[in-house]
Amino acid sequence: MSAPDFYFAINAIFRHIHDTHGRKALIHYWQHLGSEYYASRWQRWRDGGLPAIAADWKNYFEHEPGSEVDVTLEPHRVVLDIRTCPAIGHLRQHHKDIPDYFCEHCDYITTSMGQQSGHAFERTGGMGSCRQVFTPLTTSAGSITSPSSSPVES
Amino acid sequence: MLGCQDFCGHYDWTFAFLRQQYGQQAVIDLWSQAIGGESQNHYHLAALEKGLKGLYHTWVATGEDEQCDWTFTLDEERNVLRCDMRQCPSKGFLLQNDRAADEDYCDHCAGWIIPLLAKTGHHITGHQHNHAGQCWFEMAKKDQPSQSPASFPDIRTDPRWQQGYLDSWQNNHKLPLLPEVCDAADACAVLAKWFERFDQLHVIGRGPSARLMEPSPDAAVLVTDPTYATQDVYAGSPAAVLFGDRPLPEMLTKCAQRFHATPPADRPLLLSAYLPRAHWPKWSSYNLPRPIPILPLLLREGLYTHQPHQPYPTTGTLLVLLAVALGKPTLATGIDLYQSGGDHAEPQPISEPHSLSCELTCLQQALLKSQGSLTLTGESHRLLRIGGSRED
Repeated sequence: MSAPDFYFAINAIFRHIHDTHGRKALIHYWQHLGSEYYASRWQRWRDGGLPAIAADWKNYFEHEPGSEVDVTLEPHRVVLDIRTCPAIGHLRQHHKDIPDYFCEHCDYITTSMGQQSGHAFERTGGMGSCRQVFTPLTTSAGSITSPSSSPVES
Repeated sequence: MLGCQDFCGHYDWTFAFLRQQYGQQAVIDLWSQAIGGESQNHYHLAALEKGLKGLYHTWVATGEDEQCDWTFTLDEERNVLRCDMRQCPSKGFLLQNDRAADEDYCDHCAGWIIPLLAKTGHHITGHQHNHAGQCWFEMAKKDQPSQSPASFPDIRTDPRWQQGYLDSWQNNHKLPLLPEVCDAADACAVLAKWFERFDQLHVIGRGPSARLMEPSPDAAVLVTDPTYATQDVYAGSPAAVLFGDRPLPEMLTKCAQRFHATPPADRPLLLSAYLPRAHWPKWSSYNLPRPIPILPLLLREGLYTHQPHQPYPTTGTLLVLLAVALGKPTLATGIDLYQSGGDHAEPQPISEPHSLSCELTCLQQALLKSQGSLTLTGESHRLLRIGGSRED
């Protein structure tokens, strides 16, 4: 059930926690969401490495209405080129006020998942389009078993 | 990103997180302010502009968006907007994906709708949900007479309505869950009230060690549904009966016969865990009252966290967790974790959806939480001693 109006609730929950309990509480919430709620996803990342991360995000964005995302599996990293963020797009379309910290949820949730699975996360850009990169935390050659660069989705 | 595809899952998880971190009021405030205030502001505007008709059109649009199997019936002459939900996609998502993080996910609807309507001069005149995906609402303009619509597809006539347990509202107020016990609407409070009169509890499982010790006359005895039905390992009158995750029809029938053959004052409290992967019987088709849920108390007391698609405790172990959650000195017999053959020649292995590891983890947690007031016997005692637990 991918109803885009749920982005309204996500946005409102972030603002409510921020305004009621403070910024630290919001970050704490995001971190626990990544490590606890998304445990089954980061376990797949941990077990399957970069190919699993690429497959997971490809599947995830396919179920987010309005998203335009390229997922690329490279030898030593996975790159998400998010041309249209479905959440920001829908919130803007409906003239919703988006707090300036909205995009940080990706940083804290995904970093938390990556810490569990053994991957670093980095985001550049935001507020509608961004690039997200996943790399193994262990950089020794023997720990990386990804195939050669291959776009998973275009 | 945090997506909308699994929104209901992280919504449920968020309720549980806020309750644990900031208390019960934090969730009530989230529903009222974040959801009823900001997220669903389009309902607020629609109600202000066009009253019940505005709400009707907004809900119908949401239903198409969320693929709800429901019917909204507007009868302005009778001052009523009614919803009959046949299969809630939101609760359905949780059940299908084996999620049960929060005490009461279904409460969130009344949690945001009541305060939103109050700001527009409307209220909920009646509402019930069965925690299995079926519910009904009636809404009306305040301070004007209201009646149910002249005709509507009443979900209460649907066989699925017989599943689960009912939370009920009347004129914005949540009604007592079990009025013959107390006026609390909260399942945890009902459980506390029921066991208030007992100083000690005796959990009797189905293993061979169940027969080793007679319950003290002062103890409240807690048993599972096969024991209540057959009286094989305990023939006395239990204070409570926990139905298992897959109760057999013949056991349900026998339980109902015994229950109704007992004077009302002597009947046990019927209980169920209502875990997502369990079979949810249609209680009234067995002439049984709907059991009270125990999961909210276990979650609130930190004695259990439901992990999707992972093993969950057997009925006997759930009874031990419940006893510890109630905070009474407890003796548990017959919790042998299928390690003893009992009436069988060979021990029975614990099978899906349970596991020995899950059982031992839960019992260790119970022992720690009980701070010495829980006494285990039989195989569970032996296995936890081997594991170096603190049960002594």
